[in-house]
Amino acid sequence: MYPAPFHYHRVDSLQDAISRLAELGDSARALAGGQTLLVWMKLRFDEPRHLVDLSRIPGLSDIRLEGDEVCIGALATHAEITKSAVAAAIPSVYDCGSGIADGQIRSRGTIGGALGSADPSCDWPVLLHTLDAVLTCTGPEGTRSIPVSELVEDIYTTILQPAELITGIRFRMPPENSAGAYCGFKRCAPAYPTASVAVQLTLEDDICSEVRIALGSAGLTTVTSKEAENILRGSRLTEANIDKAAQAIVAAAEPVPDQRGAEDFKRAVLHSLVKRAVDIAMRRCQGETIGVHREYV
Amino acid sequence: MSWIGKSPERKEDQRLIRGRGLFVDDKQSYGLLHLHLVRSPYAHAQILSIDVAAAEALPGVICTLTGAEVKDLMPESFMELGPEPAASIRDYPLAVGKAIFQGEPVAAVVAETPALAADGGALIEVDYDMLDAVVTAEQALEDKDILHESAGTNQTWQGVYEYGEVDKAFAEAATVVAIDRLHFHRFASTPVENNAVVAEWLPHGDLNFFCNNSFVGFAQQLLAPALGISVDQMHIKTHDIGGSFGNKISNYTQMAIAALASRKTGGRSVKWVETRTEHLLSSGHGNERTFLDTEVALDKNGVITAVRSRHIDDCGAYPRYEPLGCVIWSQVLPATYGVRNFRIDFSQAVTNKCPAVPNRGYSRMQHLWFMERIIDICAHELDIPADEMRLKNYITEFPYTTPNGCVYDSGNYPAMLEKAKELIGWDDWKKKQADARGEGRLLGIGIGTTLDSGTNNFGQARIMNPHLPFSGNSEVATIRIDLQGSVIVTLGSGPSGQSHETTASQVVAEELGISPDLVRVRSGFDTGWNTFVGHSGSYASQFAVTGLSAVHGACEKLKAEMRRLAAFILEASEEDLEFGIGDEGPQLSVKGTDQAVNYWYMGNLVNNDNAVLAGELGDVTLNIRHVYRPPFTVPDTERKYGNLTLTYAAQLHIAVIEIDRAFGHPKILAYAAVDDCGTVINPKIVGGQVHGATAHGIGAAIMEIFQYDETGNLLTSSFSDYCPITSMNMPDVQYGSIQTPSPFSYNGAKGMGEGGGAPLHTVSAAIQDALYGEGVIVRESHHSANSVFALLRDSDESTGVQVETRQ
Ligand SMILES: Cc1cc2nc3c(=O)[nH]c(=O)nc-3n(C[C@H](O)[C@H](O)[C@H](O)COP(=O)(O)OP(=O)(O)OC[C@H]3O[C@@H](n4cnc5c(N)ncnc54)[C@H](O)[C@@H]3O)c2cc1C
Repeated sequence: MYPAPFHYHRVDSLQDAISRLAELGDSARALAGGQTLLVWMKLRFDEPRHLVDLSRIPGLSDIRLEGDEVCIGALATHAEITKSAVAAAIPSVYDCGSGIADGQIRSRGTIGGALGSADPSCDWPVLLHTLDAVLTCTGPEGTRSIPVSELVEDIYTTILQPAELITGIRFRMPPENSAGAYCGFKRCAPAYPTASVAVQLTLEDDICSEVRIALGSAGLTTVTSKEAENILRGSRLTEANIDKAAQAIVAAAEPVPDQRGAEDFKRAVLHSLVKRAVDIAMRRCQGETIGVHREYV
Repeated sequence: MSWIGKSPERKEDQRLIRGRGLFVDDKQSYGLLHLHLVRSPYAHAQILSIDVAAAEALPGVICTLTGAEVKDLMPESFMELGPEPAASIRDYPLAVGKAIFQGEPVAAVVAETPALAADGGALIEVDYDMLDAVVTAEQALEDKDILHESAGTNQTWQGVYEYGEVDKAFAEAATVVAIDRLHFHRFASTPVENNAVVAEWLPHGDLNFFCNNSFVGFAQQLLAPALGISVDQMHIKTHDIGGSFGNKISNYTQMAIAALASRKTGGRSVKWVETRTEHLLSSGHGNERTFLDTEVALDKNGVITAVRSRHIDDCGAYPRYEPLGCVIWSQVLPATYGVRNFRIDFSQAVTNKCPAVPNRGYSRMQHLWFMERIIDICAHELDIPADEMRLKNYITEFPYTTPNGCVYDSGNYPAMLEKAKELIGWDDWKKKQADARGEGRLLGIGIGTTLDSGTNNFGQARIMNPHLPFSGNSEVATIRIDLQGSVIVTLGSGPSGQSHETTASQVVAEELGISPDLVRVRSGFDTGWNTFVGHSGSYASQFAVTGLSAVHGACEKLKAEMRRLAAFILEASEEDLEFGIGDEGPQLSVKGTDQAVNYWYMGNLVNNDNAVLAGELGDVTLNIRHVYRPPFTVPDTERKYGNLTLTYAAQLHIAVIEIDRAFGHPKILAYAAVDDCGTVINPKIVGGQVHGATAHGIGAAIMEIFQYDETGNLLTSSFSDYCPITSMNMPDVQYGSIQTPSPFSYNGAKGMGEGGGAPLHTVSAAIQDALYGEGVIVRESHHSANSVFALLRDSDESTGVQVETRQ
């Protein structure tokens, strides 16, 4: 598999990247880890004439805690994030990052690329929904913040302007009484998930005071449901209301039947994963240590 | 010291682990050109026009080829093995006039680099007119849309296999179980190295191939007439091959394109290396098979007395090696059971899907799965425990002549079952299962017994087509003592990862009383060595018998020469000589004395210093070529009767599977695999084969499927979608073995590489056991979470099984 001919540009500053992309226009793409873009090019689904390689831009792969805010550079790789202190402190970050593809892909692919590709099967965007992450984006017009829930317009399409890049991801460190979980079901490591679920819960005296749930590979974009969250918010988490919330969000999903499974099957998987993720998050809130829960096949 | 049954360091590992192997894509040469194939995006389409002008104008592109051009360049299309009308199928390496499967090559580009060749390919304009696709064999047999006009029908073969007194058995049966439909899905072994070839067709007429074909003896017989060249003008070499599992038997079609491309460039070397997507799309899939209207007669004790059924095999777009598969399954007609009465109406059809190729377990695995489903479904319907049902029906006397004349050499299936039960902890799991059921959990325990018939009698091809000039089997080995006294062995087998260098060196070491590291076994295959016959290759589980018998026979002849020579040199009598290792290396010595002559002295004498022989021993060359031929006769083609294979290795697996009620996920909780391949030459290598076959089988059973939509579009054409099994999907395998030496091989060994697809039978049985109480009958061989979910969802629909009890 060989891509169509293209020119390769290496830049060493963000400004250079933006001006080069602006100059080259439509026929150029930013290249991060290449684990989505290069695959598409090899399959000739996409034939850009120019690639602007961001990987040498300094400072864009830092992973830091600023006060109670977590800041992750767009070029941080899945592996770097998974091995970071942030993942050690927030189990759902570890769940999510360590489940992406296989070791080779994790050490190349970046969180910015996962967001920029607007692929509903990518894991990070789903998790970031539940952490209410905000993206820092810089383009020819300057810098702005975009909530992760607003980034994606449609499958494979973001609201980013031409030559505008994601530079960082920020979210608040969850408080003591808040915890999340990320559960995916996939057939084998180098396959995208059949379905995935992220949950973030905050418990106050057994009452769920705040909750976020998001579904991946469940439609053309990440699926969320205010209705499902409202079912849980303000109440004690019982099997019955967890099930009801799961039903509500799965009803909002529009899984596409494909080689990974039929629609009703995917709904059943999602339903089951929501319950599992809520259960893990709940127990983590209560102080239990629960490792990643991942199943293959 | 005996070297049989030991696991010395693998000879191959020295280079392979250090990255010093030589695979086709490693081959470099000055001026090497690269070939790219343009493929049909449609499963069935008329090719209206092909415009290569833009591609040929691209700098770096040397030339292009189209189907029409290839047809002119080839004196004839590839031979089809089937009888008329399948024999009339026109099979060219590039589609001529119409494309009949998605991914079929329609044009080729040769360029200076692989990337330029691909760019050239993107510039070739093909105008298609889409036709309706035929995607199931049953649909194909209706002959509404004909794939090959020259044949006039989609049916490539049909025949009835009838033995014993079927109707009588059914009339006398205590119970008859009818199963409307069983279906074995499409998958393949996806070797780590794709197909590849470097061809160089020199202006003086010789054609050189460096390739990874795994059955060169056969490939050369198809290539020579199609390319209009003599077999001797083709110099075919292989070196390291990254797995074949039968799949690389059929890459002769791509070898032909590369050869024609080289000729068009005036004799430059042309390399073609398949990409993974190309491999999944078009290199060859395992046979898909449907079993209709099956009826099973049982006596009052639950012993199966007769089976009648209709089998339809789907061989994809071109039969090629097929319809051999229409006979090969009958090597294991009764599976491991003593059923004497059979009527199987077998037909095969072409469809607009990737051509079928032999795939690990080839054709027997499909049939064994069918027989295993029968025994398993009958056990459940008759409420007989799974283990008892097997024990009631197993063949126990050996050698055993099957109803169609095959002779099972040896075996002990009850002992294997016992061992597997012990490994898995059967009684314990039975208790856990009862508890789980009490809690409403779906836990199943399944047994799969299978055969790996090896060393086939090519005479069975005549059952399929009486005009074929094939029968028997053979393999070649050469051994010589060269002028430095080294022991040099060459093989005809052209291995693809089965460690032939190691096991051959063990046999030689055993025979000569030396050690394997003193034996040099050349890697790969080379027609230039003159170590081949028409059967030469690595396929059909036979090296331990054919290959090693050839090595053994060569050793015996060599030893006879060495004895005569040493007796002359040492002025001793031959009976007093003994083989071994002395202070000066490998030698022959006079028993009880310090008189000895080493290999260097003997090798030098014969090759360099022969006046010393003073005219004696003129026939001694220390350079032996031995051909092993198993003792076969030509089968009776009318009755479809005869011994079709020499040895029958067996595998018995047990799996414990729990199914997630919520979405059908089948999780393997425990897995045991017991193997019997007779005398084991090298336990580590046998263990590797067992584990590999187990992984392939589990992958096939729960993950891997070539899924086509109704237009013939392949939905699983990348590894991300096809999902071949990885170590992370594997359960821990409890592995054990028993040894029932074959009376038919010199060393008691049996071929065992294919493994017989045991996990497919076993996983189906375990899922059946888990779901029987839910009203589910397992009638498919593929069990992804998605398909098990569908089984549960549709469990209230017809099971497709009827039981008629008469007594
Ligand atoms: C076999 C395989 C399996 C995979 N499985 C999974 C999986 O299970 N889960 C999962 O989440 N992912 C999976 N992936 C995808 C992987 O995570 C990619 O790394 C990720 O989707 C893209 O990141 P990247 O850095 O490689 O981006 P690239 O491929 O370099 O870029 C992707 C797109 O994003 C744009 N882009 C890149 N960086 C930025 C930026 N900073 N700002 C704006 N736009 C940008 C690019 O222009 C391009 O359009 C898999 C990939 C493969 C090949």
